[in-house]
Amino acid sequence: MALKDLKIVGKSVRLRDLDTHVRGQTTYYEDVRIPRMLHLKMYRSPHPHAKILKIDTTEAAKQPGVVCVLTHEDMPGKKTFTPLAAIGVAPEDEPILAFDKVRWKGEPIAAVVAESEAAAKAAAPKVKVTFEELPAVFDVEEALKAEAPIVTPWGKNYYQYPDDHAASQIRYGDVERAFAEADHIVEDKYQTKPIEHAPLETTGCVAKPEGNGRYTVYTNIQALYFALDNTAAIVGLSPAKLRFVGGTVGGGFGGKVDIQVEPIATLAAIKTKRPVKYKYSREDEMRVSSTRAAWRIYVKDGVMNDGRIVARKITTYQDAGAYIRLSSYGTMKHAGHMPGPYTIPNVSVDAYCVFTNRPPSSAMRGFGVMSGSYAIELQMDKIAAVTGVDPWQLRLINAYRNGDMKAHRKAADDAALVETIQAAAQLAGQALPADFAAMSSDDRKGG
Amino acid sequence: MPEYIRSGSVEEAVGLIAEHGSSLWIMGGGTIVMQVLESGADYWQYIMGLDGLALDGIERANGSWRLGATATATQIRAQPDLPALAAAARMVGGPALQNAATVGGNIYARSPQGDLAVVLLALDARLHLATADGEQAPSLGEFYDDWEAAGRTPPGLLTAIEFAEPAGEVVFMKCGRRRFNSASVISVAVNVAQKDGKVTEARIALCGAGPHAQRCAAAEEAILGGKLDDAAIARAAAAAAAACAPVTDTVASEWYRRRMVGVYLRRALAQLA
Amino acid sequence: MTTKVLRLNVNGEDTLVPVGPMATLQEVLRDKLELTSVKVGCAQGGCGSCSVLIDGELRLACLTPAEAADGCTVTTLEGLNESNSIVPIQQSFIENYAAQCGFCTPGMLVATKALLERNPKPSRDEIIEALSGNLCRCTGYLPIIKAVEDAAAALSGKQSA
Ligand SMILES: Cc1cc2nc3c(=O)[nH]c(=O)nc-3n(C[C@H](O)[C@H](O)[C@H](O)COP(=O)(O)OP(=O)(O)OC[C@H]3O[C@@H](n4cnc5c(N)ncnc54)[C@H](O)[C@@H]3O)c2cc1C
Ligand code: FES
Ligand code: FES
Repeated sequence: MALKDLKIVGKSVRLRDLDTHVRGQTTYYEDVRIPRMLHLKMYRSPHPHAKILKIDTTEAAKQPGVVCVLTHEDMPGKKTFTPLAAIGVAPEDEPILAFDKVRWKGEPIAAVVAESEAAAKAAAPKVKVTFEELPAVFDVEEALKAEAPIVTPWGKNYYQYPDDHAASQIRYGDVERAFAEADHIVEDKYQTKPIEHAPLETTGCVAKPEGNGRYTVYTNIQALYFALDNTAAIVGLSPAKLRFVGGTVGGGFGGKVDIQVEPIATLAAIKTKRPVKYKYSREDEMRVSSTRAAWRIYVKDGVMNDGRIVARKITTYQDAGAYIRLSSYGTMKHAGHMPGPYTIPNVSVDAYCVFTNRPPSSAMRGFGVMSGSYAIELQMDKIAAVTGVDPWQLRLINAYRNGDMKAHRKAADDAALVETIQAAAQLAGQALPADFAAMSSDDRKGG
Repeated sequence: MPEYIRSGSVEEAVGLIAEHGSSLWIMGGGTIVMQVLESGADYWQYIMGLDGLALDGIERANGSWRLGATATATQIRAQPDLPALAAAARMVGGPALQNAATVGGNIYARSPQGDLAVVLLALDARLHLATADGEQAPSLGEFYDDWEAAGRTPPGLLTAIEFAEPAGEVVFMKCGRRRFNSASVISVAVNVAQKDGKVTEARIALCGAGPHAQRCAAAEEAILGGKLDDAAIARAAAAAAAACAPVTDTVASEWYRRRMVGVYLRRALAQLA
Repeated sequence: MTTKVLRLNVNGEDTLVPVGPMATLQEVLRDKLELTSVKVGCAQGGCGSCSVLIDGELRLACLTPAEAADGCTVTTLEGLNESNSIVPIQQSFIENYAAQCGFCTPGMLVATKALLERNPKPSRDEIIEALSGNLCRCTGYLPIIKAVEDAAAALSGKQSA
């Protein structure tokens, strides 16, 4: 289909809610008027790793305006969850409210519910918890050493993929043989940092009892029905008793998928029979909401003098922080992506989803993939420097073409990298030699 | 939550300060006070606003300037005859913040905030403090020395800030994370008078390089009495970088701040060479 | 807990509002007067999503104690919605796709209004500076700056180049 025949692609589409945005009339969860609302503030772990010996809420409960204080003892059923359990992620490792241990600084322990936000904020620090501090680990490779403090309940600081694999793996061709035959070996280590989404609207929700055993939850979650299912399972209600109202999100970017506020607010609404608002302050958002994970990526490539990459071996570590959330899924995406948009006949990937005592990381725009691309494209420039092949041409030579088999055993279709690079070169005023300008995703002529 | 109170006059305000001691907190534009209250701090019984005291005048007479303590950054940035101070006022947050932020509050701000204070130090400004024991008029430098010693308890109500028409040229520069509305990595202000190719007066102040804006004697000495050439400027920059004591925070590291003190002081002095 | 009654003129109407100690103008506008265009992005002066006009001057409602605004005229986007001068700005934001999640948009519009009131023909740099207290995490600032340029041109009666 020619570009000119496309109705949407290549054109800007006007958002439906622009009209209400510019009039200040878009209704975010916080804008719904709900009378007699209570406010919830969380007492959080001051330690990155500690045993909980005792939780004493008596003092906090006595503070002016406080209606109740919830701890793990108030959980009607299960005490832990993982947001993607419905699609097979396991085990349910994350406490809704911590009970035996805390594994990151900021982990929720006790929810203080009060008549006003100020009262809840003033009372939350009065919760008294006796901890026994434990050694903590903050580095992915340190965490995998035998002597490292154990972060997870299952005793290994990595996510266990099916068949007890310690890593999400790809094996394709014979990497070692190809290395032996390659003209050059190009190796490096890449490190990315955690990134906070910093949405302009912080994470929050209001849970409202409807008086008939049903609850309405107004929320800015990005995953409305995952949140509904998880909340139902945690508070012990049938999903039919919950109505989630949302979809209007003041910026999410993947930062609002973790289902951190809805279950506790709903539980508090059940206990108090009053609407309960649980909203992160800006400080909470920066300190305790998840981030994009930091990655440590080792790349070893076998390259021929003409620029062809004949083998790639990757060992890569995602810092998931203390709990799984969306990280095991991100690691799998990452593993599949590490050959990049290039056709490489011999590939080996070991991608570890590693647990440390850092705040849990989770989804963020292309998580797993962006960090991989960062490493891959820096690596491509290094290969260009080593082989003396022009960096544009190097990418065109290796770009996948329709029909090429990718390392994770899916043939490329709808490939457009060659054309994209050609268009980018044109925009950048970069002349390509005639044979490169004539390349196409439909055949491998010249590449 | 504390109670918001106002006073009808400076005398009454001083009386309230004396009466309530540390349970009263003075609020100018509130851009710092309100943040602290929002963070949950609850030591105070009273917040005393200064609106209604008419302390916001800016006057120039007999070779000296007098800024009322509640003059805002917006008012100051509109002073064409105070270009360095106006440039600093323009760098205090964004326009909405500048409409609230007062020069008085800036004196008490914690480093790296204090973009106005750093220029006022280079101008050798004098404070007018109304206290129960009468008016005090310390220089800004003396004020900071005492303030540190007194555990940062303000000794009274700041009513005005006064300084002589600068004899030399004054330059303010700020190293931020973006062009406008950026917390300072550091900022520098220099006030240098030259005669017959020699530096006759030098005041150099740094912000973001210690607990509050501070003069840097080592850098001043490096240029005093000689020609303001590349070598002298490099000596001053190196002396300032060596002498300063920046902190690491979310804006910048100690290492980076120290580097930027040198870089920005060199750039500021180069404008006068 | 002492409650005081404030006299405010909000969006053209004289209003008496009871406020608790050290309530912010933001709380009063949102919770008492239900003017929810005033957003709460940070409550610390850092984001501009609570921008309002106090006696015509651009201010941050979160850093303003309600009691300090006693006797003042306060304008929120709801109040501007009815005015002819805001409609071309709103139109320009729509045409330039200058909003995505929309959370920053009311603050952006109020800040734009304050700018154009003071300076009807701002340069690009002046626009960037005037909006520097208003953060947007979604859109990218370019469409927003373009929207303000176009709005200024439309309001001052000429077409933008
Ligand atoms: C988003 C944001 C960005 C900022 N960016 C900058 C920046 O770039 N550069 C910068 O320098 N600052 C910055 N600040 C800090 C602050 O806004 C300024 O320093 C401002 O000048 C403080 O003045 P204020 O009147 O608002 O202070 P207030 O909050 O009113 O008071 C601050 C302190 O000064 C004391 N005080 C105020 N007036 C008097 C008086 N007359 N007598 C005695 N004590 C008094 C108060 O008791 C309090 O301790 C920023 C703040 C925010 C929220
Ligand atoms: S909410 Fe007021 S500036 Fe962010
Ligand atoms: S549109 Fe989302 S913050 Fe601006």
